[in-house]
This record gives sequence, structure tokens and C-alpha cells, in this order.
Amino acid sequence: MRVGRIGAGLALAVALAGCGTAGASGQSIADKDTLTIGVSKDQPGLGLRKPDGTFAGFDIDVARYLGAHLEKKPKKVDFKVVQYSDRESSVQTGKVDLVISSYSITPERKTKVAFAGPYYVAHQDTLVRTSDAGIHNVRDLAGRRLCAVNGSVSWQRVTKERGVHASLVQAATYGDCLTKLTSNALDAISTDDLILAGFAAQKGRSVRFVNAPISDERYGVGIAQGDVTGCEDINKAITEMYLDGTATKLLKKWFGATGLNLTTTVPQFEGCG
Amino acid sequence: MTMTEVPPSRPPAVRAGVARMVRIRSLPGKIRAIAFLSVLAVAAMFTVSWFAVSDARDGLRVIGHDAGPQVVATGDLYYALSDMDAQLAAVLLMGREQNLGSGRAKALQVYDQRRSQAHRALLQGSNLARNDPAEQQTARSMLDALGRYEEFAGQALQLDQRQSHTAGPPGQEVRSLYTQATDIMKLDVLPKAYNLTLDNGTTVRRTYESKHSAVLAGRVWVLLAGLVLIVILLALQAYLAVNFRRLINPVLAIATLATVVLIGGTIGLLTSEANHLKKAKGDGFDSVLSLSRARAISNNANADETRYLLDPTLADTYEQVYLDKSQEILYVPAGNLGEYYQQVDAKVAKGSGFMGFLGVEAQHVTLPGQATALSRTLDAYRGVQHDDAGIRRLSTTPGGRHTAIVLRTGTASQDFGSYDQRLVTLTAIHQKAFTDAIKDGDDGLNGWNIALPVAAVLIAILVLVGVRPRLSEFR
Repeated sequence: MRVGRIGAGLALAVALAGCGTAGASGQSIADKDTLTIGVSKDQPGLGLRKPDGTFAGFDIDVARYLGAHLEKKPKKVDFKVVQYSDRESSVQTGKVDLVISSYSITPERKTKVAFAGPYYVAHQDTLVRTSDAGIHNVRDLAGRRLCAVNGSVSWQRVTKERGVHASLVQAATYGDCLTKLTSNALDAISTDDLILAGFAAQKGRSVRFVNAPISDERYGVGIAQGDVTGCEDINKAITEMYLDGTATKLLKKWFGATGLNLTTTVPQFEGCG
Repeated sequence: MTMTEVPPSRPPAVRAGVARMVRIRSLPGKIRAIAFLSVLAVAAMFTVSWFAVSDARDGLRVIGHDAGPQVVATGDLYYALSDMDAQLAAVLLMGREQNLGSGRAKALQVYDQRRSQAHRALLQGSNLARNDPAEQQTARSMLDALGRYEEFAGQALQLDQRQSHTAGPPGQEVRSLYTQATDIMKLDVLPKAYNLTLDNGTTVRRTYESKHSAVLAGRVWVLLAGLVLIVILLALQAYLAVNFRRLINPVLAIATLATVVLIGGTIGLLTSEANHLKKAKGDGFDSVLSLSRARAISNNANADETRYLLDPTLADTYEQVYLDKSQEILYVPAGNLGEYYQQVDAKVAKGSGFMGFLGVEAQHVTLPGQATALSRTLDAYRGVQHDDAGIRRLSTTPGGRHTAIVLRTGTASQDFGSYDQRLVTLTAIHQKAFTDAIKDGDDGLNGWNIALPVAAVLIAILVLVGVRPRLSEFR
């Protein structure tokens, strides 16, 4: 039908004229029906893959909420495990649409990917064996064995930013670090309190927090550079998550028992574009 | 985005009517039909022009008079709030010493001044919240949180005065009260103010994208509708010439000419309006937004320098967030503050190789005076970082803490003030470009809401007047 064709033509013209800024792969996440979200598989409390293949944790719940509350249409959310060291490249190559995996916003990472959020601000602290009484703050790690997870900025905050000469013990994951800590293959794990809290809960009294935070870790949602519209939509959904009380509920659900000081007000956003 | 809807197909009754009219074989019937078509075409051209001009007007309203200015208002609010906490930290750091910097009394005076600024801005909640219930709720909860902040701040100040300590970290109790206060500011109040600024930025960006392209697309529609009208008028002219053996119908010729002028004028207007919008956004707004964010974060980082001296137990965190914020303002690859100072010196001297708010600004120099204002800002920023290096070096040298505090409250404070002033001057250049472009846009639209309908009616009348004598020949 003629009118139909003209109508379709007009709709196309309107769509072209109104297109927002899209990501590297060309399409804004705002226009997608399904979002592939990169998560971690080995962080209890944040992002953990269960034996049945499903995921659970604060990051996972946040991802589900954001998928369901994006302005344009609710999205189906698929999870994909992303290694710490692959987080930037997964977003850059479009292997995942978003990364929600205790992913700290840092100036250096911002040169490769953009960040919506942060959706939470954690703090870096240190976990040691309870029997080890000699560590009171991060400077006491000089000469001690510190866990270094590939692709994580945490150990660099100790050795590079603070200039503390700790000897580094490589590990693939924080779960790996924990095993090494309890088996005396290293002396300390220094990373975000939310990550440590999950592990501390697993190990009971054999490990303890040093309780001397050294940084603000702003957990962002990694997104392709240039997808300003998608980034703004996520920020809007994060604001909603705090306004409707979901953020408080989720924080209590996952970390309420840890005794950590939880912040239940919306964080200061990084800003898109 | 303006949706262009396809009109529903005419109901059969109307279609039959039109058909009957067109089927009229008589000469006057045909003339009437073509004249009627011309008037329809005039109406169509008027409609598309009206919508395109409305798009321009809406764009100017939101960007120039609503969300745009709100960015400045919320930016000022953030500054007042952030500086309140900075002054409080400075007062607590000075202790009982009266001769540090501009003195404790002066810092308290600035604190009060910022507090009333913040209150004024928040109490004018509707002004800030643009009648949006969610934003009004935000403004109210900010006011509540600010009340709690002031309570802790007041207690900290009182206790600090009673305990009367030398310059340096106050007692544990005062520090704990201050931490509670600054946490409310940092975790609750400031994020809301900053996010409001970002929200307004989003509104401006989205309005710009849809309205700018709608105005440009509007030009095409005006041209198409105008061409249709011209073709019909020429056809009418030719028809009359053939059937009445006259060379030209002068009134119809005037109508055609008027149409050409109107098309030209409207397209010219839309082009220049799109340009004004582009200038307002690209040369003005974008920089105003990023520089006011830079100012907000600079003030906060500067306060982190004071807090670093104020609370040794949190010094590590304050140092890390200082580096983080500094890299947001001016990014150079650096893993720690030592590297950062060096890189800032090297890259700023070179004039390239740095990113962040100031880096983006340096890549987009388009306005007169901007280059000078920018290089003065960058120089001042280097000065601020030199001071920071000095303060941190002194404070970790045995016996150097007092000198660090003297530097922090004296020279460093003045240097920061002059950096801030230069940043404000740079922002003002963009602010002026913004205001000018909006004013040009507004001026350009002046009178068009009258001119457009008048011109359309005039052309329609000319058409009718043009065919009337020919029709009367048949009476």
C-alpha cells in the first residue's frame, strides 16, 4: 500500500533524525532488547556463580534492577563471566554491553571505557590472618607478602600510590588470594571492603579486617565510550534505585550482617560524555 | 523530535465531494479547483513552517531559559555547600592560632556566608527543581541533610573552641564530630547537588539533539511544501494564460513572488536558528557545564588537602581521593601523586597531552580571549599542585607539620583562590557566548509568530484576488 510505504519511509527518516549517540558497536544500549552484562563469578556477596550456573550477589541484583528500569523498555539481562583483566577490552570489543563487577572508576580506565554511576562507593581495606597481630595499617605491609590479582587496581593502590614495598604474590582471583592467605602462602589481601566482607563471612574467625580504609572505590557500570544516551539512562535508573528504597534493601540483604558502614544515599555520579 | 504524521485517508463522503468538484468540466470549475488547491498548499506550507519555528523556539526555551541556566544555579549551590565544609575543616585545623592565613574569624565568616547562600538556593526549591516532583523531593531532602550537617558542624566548632588546641589535628572527639559532618556533606548533600547539575546537562543535550535536527529537517519540509505551492501557482498561471489569452496575471505573479520570498526567509531563519542553537551548545553550554563541574571538584579536592592534615587516621583516603579528583580535572597518566606533579608540569608546559575537564577545554579553543584565559588557568593549576606537593612533603617530614599548616592556610589558600578566580573568568567567556547565542536566537524569532500567519493569509488572498476577475467573466 502506498500510504504504508510512505509511512514507513517517514518513520525511518524520523528515526534517523532522532538517533542518539551510540556506542563503539554503533548501537546504544538504550535501543537493545537484551543486555549482555559482564560479571564476576567468584566474589561472594557481589557476583558469584552458583553450582547450578546461575549468578547471585549485590552486583547481580543491581544489574537485574537496572535492566528492568531502563527508560525505554525493560531489557532481558544475560550474564557473562568477565575476568578482571578483560573488563576494558570486553566493553571495547562489544563482547559485553555493560560490566557490573565491583568495577572501580579510575582515570586510567576512563581513557578506554565510559562509566555510568557509580552505584556504590566502597572503601579499600585489608584482610589478614587473625593470628597476625603485626598489621595495623597499610604501611605495615612493607616487607610482607601481598596478594596481587591481575587486572585489579587494589594492590597498586598499596605499592604504587602509597609506595609501600610489599612483595607481591600473584593470584588469578580473590578466591585464590583467600586460599593462599589461610594457607600462609601470603600475609594480606588489600581490596574493597565489600569484597573482603564476603570472604570474611566464609572464613569466620580465622581472618580479620585491619579497619584502616585507604581509598574510595566508586563502583561504576562500564559502558562503551560514546554511548552517552545509554549512560544517562543507567544513571537515571540508579537514581530511581535509591529513591524507591531498592538500594537500601539490597545493601542490607547482602552486607547487612557484615557490620560494615553502608551508605544508603545516591552517590555522586561521574557524568556521561 | 517532531513526529510527522501521515493524515488519515479521507472518508468516502469527502472523497466523493472532491471528486465531484474536480469532475466539474467547466472552465470556472477548474479554476476554482486549482485556486482551492493553492490555498490548501498555502495552509500546508504555513503548518510545516510553524512547526519548524516552534521547534527552534522550544529548543531556545529549554536550553537558554530553563535547564541551561539551572546548570549554573546548581553549580553555584554545589560550590557554596562544598566551600562550607572546606571552611569548617580550615577552622578546625587552625585551632586557637589567630594568625594563620586570613584567620579563623574570617574563615568562620565565609562559612556563614556560604551557608546562607546554600540555604537561599535550597529554599527557592521550586526555582531549582523546575516543578518536577522528584527534584523537589531531592531539594527538600538536601535541606534536611544540611540541617543535620550543621548540627554536627556546630558541635565540632564548639568543642574545638573549648579544647583550644594548637594548629593541627584537633582531639579525637572533634575529629569524630567533623567526620560525621563531612560524611553527610560528602555522601548525601553534595552528590544530590552534583547529580542535579548533570540532570540538567542531560536535558540540554537531549533537547539540543532533537530540536537541532528537527529544525534542520524542518527546512526540507518547508522547501518541499513551498515548491508544491509554487508549482500549483505556476500551473494556475499557465492555465489562465492559455484559456484567457493573457500573458501574465500580475496578482498571481505577486503571490508566487511572495511565496519564493517566504520560503527563502523561512529557510534562512531556520538555518540561522539551528546555528544559534549549535553555538549556544558547542561554544557556550558544553564548556560552562564541564568547567562548573571542574570548579566543584577542584573546591572539593582542595578541601581534601585540608582534611588530609586534619585527620591523620584518614589521611591515606584523603590523599587517594585528592589524586582521583585531580585527575578528573586534568588527566595525565600517573600512578601516584609524585608522578602526577611531574606530568602536570611537563604536559602543561608542552600545551598538549593532557585530558580531563581542562584537557577537553584545551582541545576546543574557539572564542576570543579563551586561549589566554585557559593558559592563565592552567598556570594557576600548576601552582596549586606545587603547593600540594610542598604541603605533603612538609607534613611527612618530622617537625614539618606546622610549616605545612602555615603553607596550607596561607600561600596555598591564596593560590587556590586565584586558580578558582581564573577558572571563573574562563567560564564567563563561555557563559557570554552562550547568552549571546541564545539572545541572537530569540531576536531572530521575534515577530515570526505574527509574520508567518500574516504572510500565509496574504498569499491566499492574493490567489483568490488573482482568479476573481477571470471567474467574474463567466457571470
